[in-house]
Amino acid sequence: MSTLKLTNLSKRFGGVVASDDVNLSVPAGEIIGLIGPNGAGKTTIVNMITGMLPVSGGQIHVGDADITHAPAHEISRAGLARTFQNIRLLGEATVLENVMIGFHRHETSSTLAALLSLPAASSETASLRERTLALLAEFDLQDFADYPASGLSYGHQRKVEMARAMAAEPDFVLLDEPIAGMNDVESDALAEIFQRLAANGKGVLLIEHNVRFVAKMCSYIYVLDGGRLISEGTPDDVLKDPAVISAYLGDQHHA
Amino acid sequence: MNGLVAGYLPLFDIYLIHLGLAFSQYIVLRAGVFSLATAAFAGIGAYTAGIFAVNLGLHPALGLLAGTLTGMAAAIFLSVPLARLRGVYQAIATVAFIQICLSLNIYSENLTGGAMGLNNIPKTVGTGTLFVFAALATYLIWAIERGRLGRAFNTIRQDEAVAASLGINITRHQMLAFAISGALAGLFGGLEAYHSYALDPNQFGFHLLITALSYVILGGRNSVVGPLIGTAILIILPEIARPLAENRMVIYGIMLIVVINYLPKGIADTAIDAIRARRLKARGDAK
Repeated sequence: MSTLKLTNLSKRFGGVVASDDVNLSVPAGEIIGLIGPNGAGKTTIVNMITGMLPVSGGQIHVGDADITHAPAHEISRAGLARTFQNIRLLGEATVLENVMIGFHRHETSSTLAALLSLPAASSETASLRERTLALLAEFDLQDFADYPASGLSYGHQRKVEMARAMAAEPDFVLLDEPIAGMNDVESDALAEIFQRLAANGKGVLLIEHNVRFVAKMCSYIYVLDGGRLISEGTPDDVLKDPAVISAYLGDQHHA
Repeated sequence: MNGLVAGYLPLFDIYLIHLGLAFSQYIVLRAGVFSLATAAFAGIGAYTAGIFAVNLGLHPALGLLAGTLTGMAAAIFLSVPLARLRGVYQAIATVAFIQICLSLNIYSENLTGGAMGLNNIPKTVGTGTLFVFAALATYLIWAIERGRLGRAFNTIRQDEAVAASLGINITRHQMLAFAISGALAGLFGGLEAYHSYALDPNQFGFHLLITALSYVILGGRNSVVGPLIGTAILIILPEIARPLAENRMVIYGIMLIVVINYLPKGIADTAIDAIRARRLKARGDAK
């Protein structure tokens, strides 16, 4: 089983250290939590893993492959998918088109076939359409397939983004605050999806604010503050750790 | 009746040539590249084809092939430095490229005829040939739109971060869009050369840039129908109202401002969206 592994990962913006010697691993088939107060550097780590920010120091491995300095599109092809903290859907496109593009890395028809709409390309498009509709049904979105994605409710847009990430059939999924702004019913529905992902052997890195949600979902939790890991362990251990409590609530004795 | 049709044939010829240039402009915008270099690629293609016929006396088919390939090569060459730029910076760089091509053209008098232009090009291209090539270009754009490349282009245009996170190689796709744009402009520039006896360097300058851009903005940027309609309207309009023809550029400018303000998606795309919304509503009501 392969593992997504960060070794001494660091990021400096000029003199500002956004991430300092972070060591973290996400084994296949598990949901790993990454929590921390606002500005702790959680999204910076996701952006480094996915190649959207250059890494200042340390390494990132997927299995044996070193993806530290690979461009973003190659990292996706190595089997990583992500969702964004602020939902990013294609506003001009329908729900179906938004999810269909997720299959891009598995498309095999040649450029020439695609340029001339040869039968190979047309039949691939038709079969992707079928697969997209099946995926939408899994997320209970089939009725919205032809609607513009920008018109959907917040909760539905989140699900469309999840479905798009799933279309890429990744080995590892990075979820950047997936339940932000959702009510309990909506977040429970997503929780079920996340658990199904892990059960299917995918490694999930769950970045969240909501400590209760993370404690419920994850087998192991990393806590980030000021760009460095201040605690890690099982949910029970981490939530009792005085360092974590003081990072979230402030330290009474020295206030 | 025949006389009437024959009278409008030259206009139809211009429509077919400009349709190719409109598609050249369309395909880069579609892939999220703000290139305005179509005018330059058309000039390169036209002069290559012209020189092949006049100076070397080669067959027009060879000239058209050479025009297409040089247009494409210039576009691929230009796409390398442009890959680092975005938005208005790309636009300015491509305008500069047009100016460079124009100047080189005027300086290389021995090859291109300089400011005098290239004259006595045998006319070997008629309406039939133009129609075949315009139909092929339309098919190409339609095919791209409905397949893998169209999906990738749409994603890159709307959100590059999403495109990269899904494994789309942005540089490679934008270079491909450039290559198609350059090949189309080169081909239709070559057709123009073999259709109109003479070439003038200023034909491929700022004027053509605005014209090609107007076709796409007016018609619409997201479907193959957009350039078809935009080009038709802007070619026919000055002919219907003759006094407008004298002030063609003024009319284009005014229309652009009006369209950008009131129909920002262009005529065809706005209509397509309206039809789609109506169909969805009808389906919703039926449930």
